[in-house]
Amino acid sequence: MRLVFSAVLAALSSVILLFILLPIATTVTLQFFNFDEFLKAASDPAVWRVILTTYYAALISTLIAVVFGTPLAYILARYSFPGKGLVEGIVDLPVVIPHTVAGIALLIVFGSNGIIGNFSPVRFVDALPGIVVAMLFVSVPIYVNQAKEGFASIDVRLEHVARTLGSSPSRVFITVSLPLSIRHILAGAIMSWARGISEFGAVVVIAYYPMIAPTLIYERYLSQGLSAAMPVAAILIVLSLAVFVALRILVGREDVSESQS
Amino acid sequence: MFLRVRAEKKLGNFRLNANFEMDRGYCVLLGPTGAGKSVFLEIIAGIIRPDRGEVKLNGADITSLPPEKRGVGFVPQDYALFPHLNVYKNIGYGLRRVEKLERDKRVKEIAEKLGIAHLLDRKPARLSGGERQRVALARALVIQPKLLLLDEPLSAVDLRTKGVLMEMLKFVQKDFEVPVLHVTHDLMEAALLADEVAVMLNGKIIEKGKLKDLFRSKNEEVSDFLSARNLLLKVSEILD
Repeated sequence: MRLVFSAVLAALSSVILLFILLPIATTVTLQFFNFDEFLKAASDPAVWRVILTTYYAALISTLIAVVFGTPLAYILARYSFPGKGLVEGIVDLPVVIPHTVAGIALLIVFGSNGIIGNFSPVRFVDALPGIVVAMLFVSVPIYVNQAKEGFASIDVRLEHVARTLGSSPSRVFITVSLPLSIRHILAGAIMSWARGISEFGAVVVIAYYPMIAPTLIYERYLSQGLSAAMPVAAILIVLSLAVFVALRILVGREDVSESQS
Repeated sequence: MFLRVRAEKKLGNFRLNANFEMDRGYCVLLGPTGAGKSVFLEIIAGIIRPDRGEVKLNGADITSLPPEKRGVGFVPQDYALFPHLNVYKNIGYGLRRVEKLERDKRVKEIAEKLGIAHLLDRKPARLSGGERQRVALARALVIQPKLLLLDEPLSAVDLRTKGVLMEMLKFVQKDFEVPVLHVTHDLMEAALLADEVAVMLNGKIIEKGKLKDLFRSKNEEVSDFLSARNLLLKVSEILD
């Protein structure tokens, strides 16, 4: 009986894993049969420029999420106050809004006639800042929730003891809370960066140009067909995987040195 | 009186209403689980603000002071050692304003005294229960507190270690000349350590005095709590 159960578990689980891996692996593998096209794309400076723009915009968006999202995560993990549920709901809001809708909403605010866009010296529409806000909008819930989980996992008595040892709340935050949740914060930052790179819907509405990788792939697919889009897609898959794995290993190392109990 | 506390605090359904005072010396606050002993200690440490009342330490009103300004050493249950810092840094955590050489001297001195000098490089995860307790004590004592608060300091160690640690606690109080308020539900600790014992039940300090006098208490709740049946329960708990 137990054997049957295990077999069913394994079978159903492998369906999901195959479902994820098959398209990705196929896209990459097919490049070997069409290596010339792949080389052409890989040696195209435009492609690399676009990829760099994507990574760079996602990096800025992640940094903003870390700077502004960490205090929010700490508040949500440590304090209870009236309306906390509402605040948590607001943080999660971008997850449930369709991304094109998010793009429209951002365009309304950051567009040249928008509340912010009208007065801002920075141009958002069809500019890098537009890409950054779109990426930030969709990825910030991931970061805040991860960091919140990190802070919540710290025993509050550690913070209490630190206070009795003469540390102000801000010093306790820097010397105890932050180092103890650093793994969650790093993991959250990686996930939020990855989410930013993969965003298309919100970005394309507010900033079709400068092009990011998902936009370029979409454009090549529409104008030149699947075979033109595929090499770029494959490059992006390989690169993203490499960066993702490298960062995971980095955080994982942290994991080993910090694991205590 | 060295410490005077009058504090009311409502936490959900629980209500603390405690009047307490103690002299310099070793005072054990005895009471069953859920009596409000930890909340009471946290009020003295400044971690919890009372709804009403005041805390006076050595004549000074410290009710509105934050924990970092009270000069009260606190060893919580399970010790709360900083897991990311080694023993040396744990002990030295409260000495950041002290000049480096002096800090180094004080950390090593206290580690020597408490028999943990060989552990300074270790992270807390690699310490035994008894070693953790010594580190937590050293960390609280090294800042030269006016008062030392211990919350169930012996509940996480085995019986043999318990004996050794009890001797050390007594030594610490004498050697560092620091008044100690030790919270426990264990009568044995009160019997072996306390100059004075206060009994806390349902958020109130019911009685205070020498333990032998408490055994003759006319207060029904106190005599019930200290009854033979309860003692036997404690013994069986230890044997478990």
